[in-house]
Amino acid sequence: MTAVPLNGVPRTWRFWRFVRHHVLTVYILLALGYLFLPIAIVVAFSFNNPAGRFNYTWQGFTFKNWTSPFGYPGLGGALRVSIEIAVLSAIFATILGTLVALALVRYRFRGSATTNLLIFIPMTTPEVVMGASLLTLFLNWRIPQGFGTILIAHIMFNISYVVVTVRARLVGFDRHLEEAAMDLGANELVTFTRVTLPLIMPGILAAGLLAFALSIDDFVITYFNAGSTITFPLFVWGAARVALPPQINVIGTAIFAVAVSGMLANIFFQNIRAKKGAVTA
Amino acid sequence: MKESFSREELLRRGLAGGAFLSLPALLAACGGGSKKAVSTAAAAVKKTMPKTLTFSNWPLYIDINEKTKSHPSLVAFDKHYGVNVKYLEDINDNDSFFGKIEGPLSQGQSINRDLIVLTDSSGLPGRMIELGWLEKLDRSAIPNIKNLQPSLAHPNWDPNREYSLPWQSGMTGIGYDPKLVGGDINSVEELFTNPKLKGKVTLLTEMSDTMGIVMAANGDDPSHVTDATFDKAVTRIQKAVNSGQIRQFTGNDYSGMLAKGDVYACFAWSGDMVQLQIDHPGLKWVIPSTGGMIWTDQMLIPKGGNVYGASVLMNWYYQPSIAAEVEDYVNYICPVVGADRVLLKTDPAVAKNPLIFPTKQMLANVHAFDSKALNNEKYKKKFNQLIGG
Amino acid sequence: MKKPASLRRPKGTIPYLLLAPGMAWLLVFFVVPMWYLGKTSLSHGLFPTFSFGWAWGNFHDAVSAYRVQFVRSGEYAAIATAIALVLSYPLAYWIAFRGGRWKNLFLLLVIAPFFVTYLIRTLAWETILTDNGVVVHTLQHLGVLSSGGRLLATSAAVIAGITYNFLPFMVLPLYVSLEQIDTRLIEAATDLYASRPKAFFRVTLPLSLPGVFAGVLLTFIPACGDFINAQLLGTPRQYMIGNVIQSQFLSVRDYPTAASLSFVLMAAILVIVLIFAKLLGTERLTVGA
Repeated sequence: MTAVPLNGVPRTWRFWRFVRHHVLTVYILLALGYLFLPIAIVVAFSFNNPAGRFNYTWQGFTFKNWTSPFGYPGLGGALRVSIEIAVLSAIFATILGTLVALALVRYRFRGSATTNLLIFIPMTTPEVVMGASLLTLFLNWRIPQGFGTILIAHIMFNISYVVVTVRARLVGFDRHLEEAAMDLGANELVTFTRVTLPLIMPGILAAGLLAFALSIDDFVITYFNAGSTITFPLFVWGAARVALPPQINVIGTAIFAVAVSGMLANIFFQNIRAKKGAVTA
Repeated sequence: MKESFSREELLRRGLAGGAFLSLPALLAACGGGSKKAVSTAAAAVKKTMPKTLTFSNWPLYIDINEKTKSHPSLVAFDKHYGVNVKYLEDINDNDSFFGKIEGPLSQGQSINRDLIVLTDSSGLPGRMIELGWLEKLDRSAIPNIKNLQPSLAHPNWDPNREYSLPWQSGMTGIGYDPKLVGGDINSVEELFTNPKLKGKVTLLTEMSDTMGIVMAANGDDPSHVTDATFDKAVTRIQKAVNSGQIRQFTGNDYSGMLAKGDVYACFAWSGDMVQLQIDHPGLKWVIPSTGGMIWTDQMLIPKGGNVYGASVLMNWYYQPSIAAEVEDYVNYICPVVGADRVLLKTDPAVAKNPLIFPTKQMLANVHAFDSKALNNEKYKKKFNQLIGG
Repeated sequence: MKKPASLRRPKGTIPYLLLAPGMAWLLVFFVVPMWYLGKTSLSHGLFPTFSFGWAWGNFHDAVSAYRVQFVRSGEYAAIATAIALVLSYPLAYWIAFRGGRWKNLFLLLVIAPFFVTYLIRTLAWETILTDNGVVVHTLQHLGVLSSGGRLLATSAAVIAGITYNFLPFMVLPLYVSLEQIDTRLIEAATDLYASRPKAFFRVTLPLSLPGVFAGVLLTFIPACGDFINAQLLGTPRQYMIGNVIQSQFLSVRDYPTAASLSFVLMAAILVIVLIFAKLLGTERLTVGA
């Protein structure tokens, strides 16, 4: 121990407490810097003005990439394909996955352990193997690869994530509300649609958004099963070898901005609902 | 078309069905089952143009109007013949594209393309001919074939040009940044041993290009490959790899590296250099003193494609004026005689660029790789081990 | 009094009806493909003429031909996972314990960068780590790199890329498990005269182990099969087994070899995961994020 303390706390103690308290914060700031560094580069280079085909060296500032983001041939089409597949696969996977989650949480039945395993395994299988095995299926069944096969693949891997997300929401769900509804005379179906569904809707929406995000960014599984169809990630892959237009950075930044805004909105809504005392899981 | 899972089927069923019923020739063009392939023989006799043609090509390989993002040569074709050409830039790699079309073609199904473009140095055009997966050109529809560069008229894998016509050629040589290299460079030996270049040299993952140039540097003939000459080249490259001289083996990604300065000198394709020089005028390209390579991308009609329509399309691109238009943008080597004269008036810089219209001397100093060696599994395996993949 | 429906004995068929569409999809498009993959791995020849023939030799051939890439993948994935764990733990800890009302916001901040397409992010690293860039020059200055040294086209860049790209898979499970720890337990420990570090190591850390386990799994497994980082940031000398599988399937089209490699990869991952589970003493494999 050191000099006579003031306020009963030794100065060295206070010093170390200060350091300890803030070293973590400094670390967090550094970590966030590290996480956002590539993003900053992506955004910055979306304003680059290269005369040639590549976007590796800074050559000048311009807004023209942002005013004509689809000005590069093929980019708009690829993005459209990606969005279409993402929307469709999110919808289907969410429906299928929610049903599975309901079954797993609400009911006890034989085979629930196997089902759990089957839901879990795709999330831990390397994408290379999943994409490749699907390809062998399509080859053996003589199904030509294209939009349809990509959609099939995306729905497949999204189901597991939807199940996990919705299940988390269901597990924390207060069953007494349902009991109360039934006690007041509602039958099962009405209870489900009027009480359960609205309350788990945030979970279902979250699952849908997750599925959408996973689908729009998927590269490996799509790569194996796309045939000649081109999605946005496939477009970037091809472009990286031949010509990297800044418009790719523009689209990348735009997707990022939309996703982040969506999640921010979600957070603020949740905070507001929490304040209003609504039931949240 | 009629693939069960095609996007068109899922999203525009009605439109698709209606359009297809209207033209008998289209049945030959878009086969969906094994029976359709047989009818192409009969269809070739029909001399009517289909309503649409589907043309698959490499990216950035055709003329483009930067403002409208349209392809003027295709627009003009449409105006002249009333045929809409669906242009797809979905060929990024010979092997991968072949892998995609192998399935349907091996079952006698059409791949819904009328024209595709594959590189001869990949060995695939030759292989497709052997497998019977290509349609013969309708020569009566291609009078402009007389404009074909004489040096390209008789490749040994298609001696009478029955199945193919060149789209563009390219040369492989040494691309470098004289500022970073500290002078000029034109020999493979220097590339492999100059200490200033350690870790700043890349070679190509194309076997024909890398092995070809090194064989020539060894004094051997790349167009007649033997086990001995192949191994000798492998040893030489291996030495440079082991010493850390070679940074890596690349596809076209060397362009970005050269632009960034991560690479000082590399095996490079002539057309890429022209493009790079727009942004970086200091970059240079030479044919190695011991010889470079030349390869040609070939227009092919896959089985099930509309032979007459595709042949007419090929013929279109063998007009010097159209070829000149394409060349002005693509900047690889034009296979059409007379295009340079057209360009002399409209874009003399391009016409005089030896990388686009090489001199006879340059052409004498480049070789085409032995086409038999291209499909030799033993060689391919050895090369793959060399590049470490 | 009538028992609420949820607590009554559930009707037999409803769960199966609910499960049917989803599980059927997974069955047809996940399980069946695996079967075909297995069949292909035991075949001879090249597409389209290959024939099934109980070719067990394929496995041996595949492993011996590509043993280097297998080992390398394991190494890179392990190193990347370890680094990710070290980087993520303080991050998750801070958000869970110091985040307060804005926990979700901070979590969003950590996850947000990963909404930019994977490939674009990795290409940005190609720009950042360029030979003539700030990062390389600083490292050369600090002596970490030799004067002619580089980051790109080395295993360092590949590992760095893998670590970065899989960070959220480590952060999220860690966060979930740290966030659930009842702070009163830590208070109790300090009440019992444990110092803060001791409280951390004896209370917090053990309670967060399920999260550690989940995070390590969710990072290591996909990292093993990754090929994008090696392709963009490395050279064929850094190629992982994912690169080999990809090229065997799509370029070389030697499907039997490719399929065998895929199975060996999955088997290897399974073995490593089981060993890890035993070491950690937890059999719970389904700790979700």
